[in-house]
Amino acid sequence: MKTNDVILQTVTKVTVFIIILFSLRLFFSGHYTPGGGFIGGLMTAGALVLLLLAFDLKTVANILPIDYKIVTAIGLLFAIGTAAGALLFNVPFLTHAFDYFTLPILGKTSLHTAVLFDTGVYLVVVGVTMTIIQTIGVSD
Amino acid sequence: MAFQILLNFILAFVWMFLSVSFTAPSFIVGYLLGLLIILAMRRFFPDRFYLWRVFAAISLLLLFLKELIKANIDVLKTILKPKLDFQPGIFAYETKLKKDWEVTLLANLITLTPGTLVMDVSMDKKILYVHAIDLPDKDAVIDDIRNSFEKAIMEVSR
Repeated sequence: MKTNDVILQTVTKVTVFIIILFSLRLFFSGHYTPGGGFIGGLMTAGALVLLLLAFDLKTVANILPIDYKIVTAIGLLFAIGTAAGALLFNVPFLTHAFDYFTLPILGKTSLHTAVLFDTGVYLVVVGVTMTIIQTIGVSD
Repeated sequence: MAFQILLNFILAFVWMFLSVSFTAPSFIVGYLLGLLIILAMRRFFPDRFYLWRVFAAISLLLLFLKELIKANIDVLKTILKPKLDFQPGIFAYETKLKKDWEVTLLANLITLTPGTLVMDVSMDKKILYVHAIDLPDKDAVIDDIRNSFEKAIMEVSR
C-alpha cells in the first residue's frame, strides 16, 4: 500500500531551512549563551534526517553529494590544527588566543580561536551522525 | 509575485543609496515609495499586484481563526451531550487545487479545525479522505469546506 507523502514533503521543504538556520544560531551563540558546536551539529544532522524521512536515500544523496566520512576527517583536522597552532607561539598545547578586530561591516568584533575548534566539533558531529544513520539506512 | 517583492526590495536599497542613509527608517521609506511605483505600474506585470495577495493571505488567516473558534464550540457541545447521538463517518473530498503547497495548506486547515481530520491523500492529489466526527449529511460538510477554505486559498494563489 503506497501512500501519498505530499503533505510531509511540502512541510519538510519549508521546515528544513528553519532548522538549519536555528542550528547555526546555536553554533554561534556557544560562547556567551547555551549552545555550541555539539548541539549545533546535532541539529543540522536532525534537519538532514528529516530530509531522509520525507524523501529517500538516493534523492538526498543527489541533493547533497557529500561523503560524511570526509566531513568527519576535516573536522578532526580543524580541531587538531587549532590545538597545534598554539605550539608555534611557545605556549602549551590547546592554548587559545583572542583579540578585538574592527571589521568593515560588523564593527568591533572579538575573534577567538575557540570558534575554529568548535567548527571542528560541529563538522565531526554532523559527519559521525550522518554516517551512522546512512549506514543503518541502507537496506541491502 | 516573487519578482514584484524582489523589485520592491531593490528599489528600497536604491533609495537608501540615493539618500546616503543606511538606516531602517530610510529603508522603510524607500520600500513604501517603491510600493507606490509598483502599484502605478501594476498592469506591466503578468500577475496581480502582490499586496492584494498579501491581503488575501491575511483574510485567510482571519477566516481560519473564526472557523477554529466556531468548530471548537461545536465539538464542546458534542462532548458535553449526555446522549451519544452523533454519527462519525469518512467521506472523499474532491479538491480543485493543483499545487503541492495548496493541497498541503487545505489539508492542514481541515485537520486543525476540530470535527474533521484528513486521513489520506490520493496518489494523484485530487481526493482528500476526511474523517468527520458528526456527519448527518456529507454534502453540507463538503460545501462548507469548498465555500470557505478552498475559495480563500484560491484567492491567495490566483
